[in-house]
Amino acid sequence: MTRRRVAVTGLGLVSPYGGDPADFFARLLAGESAIRFLRTDDVPRPLAMPFVSCAGFSADAMLGRALAGTLDRFAQLGVAAAFAAWDDAGFPRKEAVPDRESWGVAWGTALGGTLAYEKGYRDLWQRGRERLSPLSLIQGLNNAANAHISIQFGLGGVSMTHTVACASSAIAIGEAFRRVRSGEAPVMVSGGSDAPQAYAVARAWEALRVLASGDENTAPQSCRPFSVDRSGLVLGEGGAALVLEDWEHAVARGARIHGEMLGYGTSCDHSHLVRPEAAGQVRALEAALADAGLTSGDIDYINAHGTATAEGDPVEVAALRAVFGERAARLPVSATKSMHGHQLGAAGAVEAIVTVLALREQALPPTAHLADLDPACAGVDHVVTARRGQTLRAALSNSFAFGGSNAVLAFRAVA
Amino acid sequence: MDSLTIIREFLDSRLEIAPERVLPEAKLDDLDVDSLMLAEIMFEFEDRFNLTLRRNLKSPRTVGELVALMDRLRSEQG
Repeated sequence: MTRRRVAVTGLGLVSPYGGDPADFFARLLAGESAIRFLRTDDVPRPLAMPFVSCAGFSADAMLGRALAGTLDRFAQLGVAAAFAAWDDAGFPRKEAVPDRESWGVAWGTALGGTLAYEKGYRDLWQRGRERLSPLSLIQGLNNAANAHISIQFGLGGVSMTHTVACASSAIAIGEAFRRVRSGEAPVMVSGGSDAPQAYAVARAWEALRVLASGDENTAPQSCRPFSVDRSGLVLGEGGAALVLEDWEHAVARGARIHGEMLGYGTSCDHSHLVRPEAAGQVRALEAALADAGLTSGDIDYINAHGTATAEGDPVEVAALRAVFGERAARLPVSATKSMHGHQLGAAGAVEAIVTVLALREQALPPTAHLADLDPACAGVDHVVTARRGQTLRAALSNSFAFGGSNAVLAFRAVA
Repeated sequence: MDSLTIIREFLDSRLEIAPERVLPEAKLDDLDVDSLMLAEIMFEFEDRFNLTLRRNLKSPRTVGELVALMDRLRSEQG
């Protein structure tokens, strides 16, 4: 089968920093943490934890009140990110053109419409209401984001959601990439969104004892991947989308190409639901390199999964050491979750955008707050402050999920 | 509050439809009120006036028919 080249022609974000990818990347280069202390008014016990909110996001303003009102927050974040990516790619919002009958959407979410259902439970059990709004079901659909994106842009091809915990949107992007590369779809919108502030979801994460500790003062510095004093991950909400496009299609219409997507590797640890294994991650890394037609010597940056959990970080570094061998010590690695938090099902897409922008801008964002490296995480070139003016040819973005599901995306800079 | 005013306020807040367009003769289709939004409007009346709507109600096609249906249910069950 002839392989088509795949261009990244659209980037869209709903992030705690706002929706402009260039500004988002500049904030990361500046080491600016978006993590704040969240305290809700829930009784008897409020949520009180470091968290990342998209406080400036107005669904009504971005989507219009009629559309926003039919969506759960995860889908609002997702559709808004897709709108931004679509606009960035230079496509009109909706056109009744036959071409778009083969264009599609591959989305990722870990939690889907959890907030909508939680509202339903609260209404029924807490407030004693007897009925729920008919929209409750529609809002709670886990495929609401991809369906609405297809409707809004008039895309008649595949439209699906992958739910693979923290690798959801990385896998969605990988699957979208394969469809463009095979020629099945000339254009795919892909990304992910999640809103993990549902009370029961946040409390469930808390029970797992993997959330970073922090208070009003220390929250911004609470997520410290690879650091000897790391205490866990920070949940966050957000949406991120990429437009993947057949290279010749993009060139023919004069599109701006942010970068080239080269490969995708996925694997399963097949050993434990929440204890990651380097061997499985190695398989995903090697599969991505092979799929991209690259060797380990071609990679100039890794955007790590790097959640700052006690178990996860050393395993990821061990996997990188195994794949990159002697070169690992000179391999720049950073975990930007230290600043933008962990958007769960959206994380892979957020970090794919970081990786594409690193290649486009030839600059490396740091792992923030990494003053005291855990010796168990040594052996790679940890980027602790921004590096500009780099020569970056290709880069990988890692997403290693609960369930042992691993996904690695490979991108190349456009000359 | 009369049913027409409730419907106007609902459509203004949910779909940003100007109240002056919500006239008795206006077709719900023309106002972009689909079956889902119609269910939401009926839910608003159920909720506000503790009504119970039968499952097999004939769907109104115009604002006027919707107003008449809600007025009848309110008088029967109110």
